[in-house]
Amino acid sequence: MVPLPSSSGVSPRPSPAVVRLDEVEKIYRVGEVDVPALRGVTLRIHPGCFSVVVGPSGSGKTTLLNLIGGIDVPTAGTVELCGRDLRTLSDDALSEFRARHVGFVFQGFNLLPVLSAYENVEYPLLLLGTPASDRRRRTLAMLEAVGLADQAGRRPNELSGGQRQRVAIARALVKGPDIVLADEPTANLDSQTGAAIIALLHEVQAELRTTFVFSTHDPQLMSHSDETFAVRDGRLVSETAGAAP
Amino acid sequence: MMSVKLSYRNILRNRRRSAMTALAVAAGTQALLLFGGFQSYVFAGLESGAVQRSGHLTVYREGYFLYGAGNPVDYGIDRYPELIRLVRSDPVLHPLAEVVTPTLSLVGIAGNFSPTGSAAKTFLGVGFVPSDRARMRQWDEYGASSASQEVNLDDGDPSTGFVGVGLGRILGLCGRLRIADCPPAPVSAPRRSAAGATPQDFSYLQEPGDAANDAHALLPRLDLLAATANGAPNVVSLYVKAASPQGVKELDDNVIGMHLALAQQLVYGRSEPKVTGLVIQLRRSEDLPLARTRLQALFAEHHLPLDVREFSELNPFYVQVKRFFGSIFLFIALIMGVIVLFTIVNTMTMAVLERTTEVGTTRALGVKRRGVQRQFLLEGGMLGALGATAGVAVASLATLAINHAHLTWTPPGNAQPVPFHIALFGQPTLIAATWIALTSVATLAAWLPANRAARLPIVDALRHV
Repeated sequence: MVPLPSSSGVSPRPSPAVVRLDEVEKIYRVGEVDVPALRGVTLRIHPGCFSVVVGPSGSGKTTLLNLIGGIDVPTAGTVELCGRDLRTLSDDALSEFRARHVGFVFQGFNLLPVLSAYENVEYPLLLLGTPASDRRRRTLAMLEAVGLADQAGRRPNELSGGQRQRVAIARALVKGPDIVLADEPTANLDSQTGAAIIALLHEVQAELRTTFVFSTHDPQLMSHSDETFAVRDGRLVSETAGAAP
Repeated sequence: MMSVKLSYRNILRNRRRSAMTALAVAAGTQALLLFGGFQSYVFAGLESGAVQRSGHLTVYREGYFLYGAGNPVDYGIDRYPELIRLVRSDPVLHPLAEVVTPTLSLVGIAGNFSPTGSAAKTFLGVGFVPSDRARMRQWDEYGASSASQEVNLDDGDPSTGFVGVGLGRILGLCGRLRIADCPPAPVSAPRRSAAGATPQDFSYLQEPGDAANDAHALLPRLDLLAATANGAPNVVSLYVKAASPQGVKELDDNVIGMHLALAQQLVYGRSEPKVTGLVIQLRRSEDLPLARTRLQALFAEHHLPLDVREFSELNPFYVQVKRFFGSIFLFIALIMGVIVLFTIVNTMTMAVLERTTEVGTTRALGVKRRGVQRQFLLEGGMLGALGATAGVAVASLATLAINHAHLTWTPPGNAQPVPFHIALFGQPTLIAATWIALTSVATLAAWLPANRAARLPIVDALRHV
């Protein structure tokens, strides 16, 4: 791990970044108290990278991913994703932007319980207005890719934790997003299933060259990363090329 | 399509809660439809009764309606047979009119001076053509089965008539007319022998030939006194065939129905007979505005100083009952609407609370705020539609059961019990309006929770446990 020269954690690279955060701050108001979650974070994530954000609980990993994904807004600073300053987008435009460019994988899978695996994967394509035949082809291909073609008709409560996370990954990837954000995707899985999920993610990422950003405590996941960002107390304390040591 | 699928499945997700919510909507729908159906039946019954008695339209001489009731002489319509011919031969009115018949309203004093006792009382008289009156009583456009009970008179026997039950009782005709509820009066009626000259006061006015008729020897006789056209008193004899209940005590105590010829003889004596009104009964009530307009045009065209009044103007009770029922219906509708509103608000608030994480997830996936809002509104609307549809089905079954149970009731103003019916099946507008109203209320009720869901910050929604 290479200590960053400044608290901003800036580590500029010459290639165009898919994610640019400049002096980002996020303060939550809890009752009468301001609780800083991120303080002056500046970072760049490059296209096609398998990036990992690490840090102890409460360090600001999830907040960082939420800001990158455009589901939260910074108190100060700039968040730029795929060349768009997210602050300039209206709520509707930001929703459309997320629908088109960002895939999410949640720790708790967050599948819609009333939809089957197939319908859950198909859902993002419906939001994009993808024609039915194309939608079907891509949904089935993605379920095939995550090894769940034979479970397409099952509802989430009929699937194991690993299978649910595979569905969630398929859902995140089916629309071909520019970036996939995964918040501790293996935290609710046993180590064997977690390893299988990591292998799947790595395989898909290698094939699609989609930018992946994870927050994790999982050493297995860290070992696969192209770059690792360490956060502590809301600050980016280090940026390491390759897996974390 | 996905929204509909999601809504449907989300409704089925908590079956018990959804069923209870839909039941509340169904109960509201059912209550409104049954009451609305009953109300329609009551309106149809009232209208039928009014139209059977007084037709759809009555033609008066101008000013009679406001000022002429006490002066049938000056406000009478002369040469009325020509007027009847004019109306009947009109190409517009001819196919619309079922009955066109003259009527004469009058006031006077009726006296019973039989040997068993004597009594006299003011009366409200109506003269009519018995056969026309009988035809009018057959009118039943709505199948309301409330044909008014009345004594049948004979066109060829102008000296007979009927009295209201109360008037018969007051005039001491209880026994001869078999009037029920006639206990002995606390004060005895004066006997003829003890009544001094009173009977002769009337009897000497009787014209020759109006004396007791052998054919009516078994019928009680009343002497009717009224002022003639020239102001002189006139008396005729009326043989009372029966006492007819009128449903309202004021009418029961005052009404005498008689042949038009007898009424004309009493009011106009030997001078030209007139009538106070021309009653027109239409085949269908929906033709009323057309017929009224045509009559007014016809009278204007012939320079006739005549006025046309609808049955609702002559029967304020009909209008009052309609307003009364309308107010009750509105009150019930408001209560049901509020119940549905709060039930749906409660259900949808619970749904939003339970699915907050899902709201956050869908928003993160790219669903817009209005998409979330639409989702919950759709669910509220679906619950409302399901409940309202169930309500229509239950109300239909209840209507069938009630209508086949042979129940009866006596509506206000009626003398006889009538079948208790719910007129729901002929009311597509009522059914559609109730369904749409309650489904709309359910949809609107979901707006508040839906709006709250749509405005949830995504990260807060995702963190929700």
